[in-house]
Amino acid sequence: MGSVVRLLADHGPAFGEALLLTWKLTVMSFVAGFALGMVITVAQLLPLRPLRFVLTGYVEVFRNIPSVALLIFIVFALPDLNVLIDYEPSVILTLTLVGSAFTADYLRTGINTVDGGQVEAARSLGMRPMVVISSVVLPQALRSVVQPMTSLLIALMLSTSLASQVPLPGRELTALVAKIANDSAAGISAFVVAAAMYLISGLLIAWAGAALEKKVRILR
Amino acid sequence: MSRALEHILFSDLSPKAQAITRAVSVSVAAALFILALGIVYRFHAAGQLDVRLWGLFAWKTTWVFLANGLLGTLASAAAAAVIALVLGLVLLVGRLSSQRGVRWPAIAVIEFLRGVPTLLLIYVCFLALPSVGIKLSAYWMLTLPVGLSTAAVVAEMYRAGVLAVPRGQTDAARSLGLNRAQVFAHVVFPQALRYIVPALVAQLVIVVKDTTFGYVVTYGELMQNAKVLIANYRSLVPVYLVVAVLYCSVNYAISRASRRLGRPMH
Repeated sequence: MGSVVRLLADHGPAFGEALLLTWKLTVMSFVAGFALGMVITVAQLLPLRPLRFVLTGYVEVFRNIPSVALLIFIVFALPDLNVLIDYEPSVILTLTLVGSAFTADYLRTGINTVDGGQVEAARSLGMRPMVVISSVVLPQALRSVVQPMTSLLIALMLSTSLASQVPLPGRELTALVAKIANDSAAGISAFVVAAAMYLISGLLIAWAGAALEKKVRILR
Repeated sequence: MSRALEHILFSDLSPKAQAITRAVSVSVAAALFILALGIVYRFHAAGQLDVRLWGLFAWKTTWVFLANGLLGTLASAAAAAVIALVLGLVLLVGRLSSQRGVRWPAIAVIEFLRGVPTLLLIYVCFLALPSVGIKLSAYWMLTLPVGLSTAAVVAEMYRAGVLAVPRGQTDAARSLGLNRAQVFAHVVFPQALRYIVPALVAQLVIVVKDTTFGYVVTYGELMQNAKVLIANYRSLVPVYLVVAVLYCSVNYAISRASRRLGRPMH
């Protein structure tokens, strides 16, 4: 316990900054990934076969590629193609791409829970397909994916640890632990502090997700 | 099964709307084709289509080396999966125990392993454990953390399966004179396992993905071997592309298997 206190005295502000950076990366990639995933899901509903085909490929690729392989490709291989992206946007882009693929997958499952009869009814009332999607299908689908999206948000939060694999100017939690463990013998205490921060963040997200789920769920 | 939603959505378009849809379809296809051409041109302009960079894939040794990397990945993933399945069962039994002294530690371990990034656990094994005198081989510095964090996830999957087994099964088995351990081992757990096999197989994808961190501890898995190839031949883009395709294919195959298992049996 004493070693943890000493560690916090030495590195307290660094841990605070690291936690904030972890949160920032998480929120930015989740919001962008969620928006992109929603666009993909809707685009996949359109009767445009070439678009569906390409988007199905997109979802499969980014669901199955290891995030760190994607990050390394973006950071180290893209400059060879004359595409230069800074380190922090690279991390966010990686997590956004992966997150959008999972979002699209979950939303599709959510859409499948909507009964076809509702769509038929809405169509026969004269609603245009896009209106049916935006005011009948999507609202119900979104309500039904709160739980998987909560898990995705936690998974993204944990995945921000891969930012430690590129020389980001700031350090997020995992990079900070790696540095402290490299420089001193305080590795275990640093790990305990970082683990506690990850755990508390995860529990907060899970709690917020459960509260939201309770509020918006549809009882069938 | 009823018709897919997108068919109902666009089932009764007017001839005019159908014509528009067709036209948009064609232009989307054209746009995507131009995009693909643009990417190929970008490769060409950056000199990335050079034979010098792709030549190494004509050699058998390159593929043998990559195959060895893939074997390393699978060897680590397989051992991690075994650790996860066994330790997950231990954690499940602890989690379901009626004794608080057993249940609470099990919950704590599960929440801890689930709530901490695998990469952080790898760094602990790699950087922090040696300073307290515990030295693991590169293989275990990768496999153990991956196995541990998966174990916690698997324990929760097991639990979901166990909770899905109807209560009557337990009551019936108990009234036949089986004790609690027997009920669990012979009646509840086998059925629970059946429910969750697709989810367990799907989890393998995450295990394979996590072993990508093998290069952190210089364990010879696919990513590490790719880095070695790149260091030797300076062929960054081609090697990373090939490796990405290999990862995607392996994980896609596992996902497909999981979906197959998930279909109802008749």
